[in-house]
Amino acid sequence: MAIPLKYNLRNLVARKASTGMTAFVIGLVVAVFLCVLALVQGVTRTLSVTASTRNVIAMRVGSQAEMQSVITRDQADQMRSMPGPERTAAGAALVSPELITLINVPREDGKTYSNVQVRGMSPVGFEARPTVKIVDGRMFNPGTNEAIVSKNLSKRFANLNVGETLKTGSFRWVVVGLFDAQGSAYESEIWTDVRDLQQQYKRDMYSSVFVRLPDSEAANRYIETIKGDQRLKLEGKTERKYYDEQMITGAPIKALAFLVGIFTAIGASFGAMNTMYAQVSSRTREIGTLRAIGFSRRSILVSFVIEALMLCLAGGLLGIFFAFLVFNLFLTRPTGTMNFRTFSEVLFNFRMTPPLIAGGLAFAVAMGVVGGFFPAFRAARLKITTALREV
Amino acid sequence: MKYFHLVWKNVFRKKLRTGLTASSIVIVLTLIVILTSLLEAMQADPSGGRGANRLVVQHATGLGNFLPLSQLQRIQQIPGVVAVTPELWFGGVYKDDKPENWIGQLSTNPDVYFDKIFDDAKIDPAVNAEWKATRNGFVAGESIAKKHGWKKGDHIVLKGTYIPLNADLVYIGPYSAGDESNIFFHNEYLNQSDWVLANKVTGLYYLKVDNGEDVPRVAAAIDKMFENSDAPTKTLTEKQFQLQFMEMMGNVKLLINGISLIILFAVTLIVANTVAMSARERVTEIAVMRTLGFGRGHILGFILSEAVLMSLLGGFLGVLLAKYLFIPALVAGAGKTSISIWLVNFKVSLSTLALAFAVSVGVGILAGFLPAIQSSRLRIVDGLRKVV
Repeated sequence: MAIPLKYNLRNLVARKASTGMTAFVIGLVVAVFLCVLALVQGVTRTLSVTASTRNVIAMRVGSQAEMQSVITRDQADQMRSMPGPERTAAGAALVSPELITLINVPREDGKTYSNVQVRGMSPVGFEARPTVKIVDGRMFNPGTNEAIVSKNLSKRFANLNVGETLKTGSFRWVVVGLFDAQGSAYESEIWTDVRDLQQQYKRDMYSSVFVRLPDSEAANRYIETIKGDQRLKLEGKTERKYYDEQMITGAPIKALAFLVGIFTAIGASFGAMNTMYAQVSSRTREIGTLRAIGFSRRSILVSFVIEALMLCLAGGLLGIFFAFLVFNLFLTRPTGTMNFRTFSEVLFNFRMTPPLIAGGLAFAVAMGVVGGFFPAFRAARLKITTALREV
Repeated sequence: MKYFHLVWKNVFRKKLRTGLTASSIVIVLTLIVILTSLLEAMQADPSGGRGANRLVVQHATGLGNFLPLSQLQRIQQIPGVVAVTPELWFGGVYKDDKPENWIGQLSTNPDVYFDKIFDDAKIDPAVNAEWKATRNGFVAGESIAKKHGWKKGDHIVLKGTYIPLNADLVYIGPYSAGDESNIFFHNEYLNQSDWVLANKVTGLYYLKVDNGEDVPRVAAAIDKMFENSDAPTKTLTEKQFQLQFMEMMGNVKLLINGISLIILFAVTLIVANTVAMSARERVTEIAVMRTLGFGRGHILGFILSEAVLMSLLGGFLGVLLAKYLFIPALVAGAGKTSISIWLVNFKVSLSTLALAFAVSVGVGILAGFLPAIQSSRLRIVDGLRKVV
């Protein structure tokens, strides 16, 4: 017969200080775990969300990132004449030769600087990316040195609000609009007209060509066509594949998250185990009595494991609460990390999702099982006679 | 000190409990040592703080924009400049695209590089001389050379990314410095290639100023000189230059520090819980000790020392584990991930050891404080009357 749950619950309540402290510790650990996972989730989402298998990015063979690639005007013209791309209502093919550069811009505090990617695109470049929407102001006009900026970026850096002028070196751009790219990697970029950018940089070349196709099969055929063209010497990738490869950027953060998660979990399990051992040793007589009135070893074992589980579950819930507090108070702004391939900053938001929350609870439960099993095992093995004799 | 034995015995009275508590300290301290060392590795200063006289000139718009080589002579002529070299970030692919094969690749001028600019790096004069004489030769940081097992005379091929050129280089020998994740080869190797921009551009200029006071003047003079040219410059001290990369990881730093603080707080609570449990069980004993003539101060000292001793033991083991087991294991195991490039400079420094010691003592004192005060305030009669 099983020992009623009420027995465990009352025991936990009776030792308020010790229970509270252990649950609190587990709460902290779960909160840390959730924060690092939310970070990983944020990075992963930034690089995977909205990257479509319908879009193709063409670069010079061997380039790992758009910034490293060089495409000549001739190559771009050749690509414009290739069949396949989707067309606008006006009949223009959605093929956008683009130039990517880095600029050094001051942060909002004005004291420190960071590197941000600037993307010069053809007028159809914006239409080729239907997931990107202007949320404030308007689109830039070619030939006027105007730019649009991701809304997230404008929060993190100085002089990037609508109407402000971005100055760097001898270049000037007037910000005329803010865009939202649904959390994708484009939210770490400044967009302007490719000819304006080429003129400012005195460069007569492009970095990559962005092409939108009717569906992913057409995209694959298009990639094959590029590969097959001996004169072109370019390499095409779907947008999805390109950003999957950039995912490497998130790897250090992921490794860090797992390191921290594993270590803190083991540490906290020891803490929980300690509390449960103390519970068992201070209740030796009680356990003897339970055995004497007929509860089996197994019910004792189960009962103590359940008690540990309750303790850790309380801690887990507390941890989720802490994590929510941290998210809503401190982590409301986007965070950045460096993309090693381009030396530019990638912005992302911490993301707490229901599976993550479930993961946090499962993490707490796992600590409960690990922390509760050995003390419970000891309790179950007590001999009735010695247990009852204990003072 | 004469009571050390008593404190020692009390710490090990309940072996299991002490073991578990110390284990959580071990784990936490291990983690903190790893995280701190990781941060240090990421922030590795190539000169170990001695680079105050060195400046980096980059394009005002930011990295990734070339500077014309014609600027070299004009920079050289500025009074106070000891030596200057153009440097170019080659960014080629070694072997394959896997992150473990990532290497920092810079072209420079060997005639002045180790002799006059990066002069606090250690390099065998014979190696330096041979490197100068070998146009396709390269020198590598000792750690990165060891990582790839390069022997003198080995050929490596770096497949160019933004520079359409495959560099075929010969390993000459190692140098040692704070940052050993880079290799250096001749500017001339690039200049004599068929790259369209060869002999025309550089990525940045790296220079040394004869004394620290002249640094701001020289930096301002360079930027002023090119202000209205096609390629305006931004001159930074070596430290500021490094910082712009760290800046991009600024949040990671904040995160690591935040995590460290929270888990320290958690482990303090775990230790406090243990010390409190053990003090509670010994109420009668403490009352007896008081009757025998030990003062309140003694009791306070005993309990506090127990907590500190326990956390020091845990901390000591944690540092040992981190230094001799986990960090070597991480370096070996993570060699295949993209964090491997930070791990080149991944070492436990003296300041990290000092930090670990301070943290252990701190956790002990914070955790032992409340239980110790409580025990010392206990009235003898109450203590003797209490049945545990």
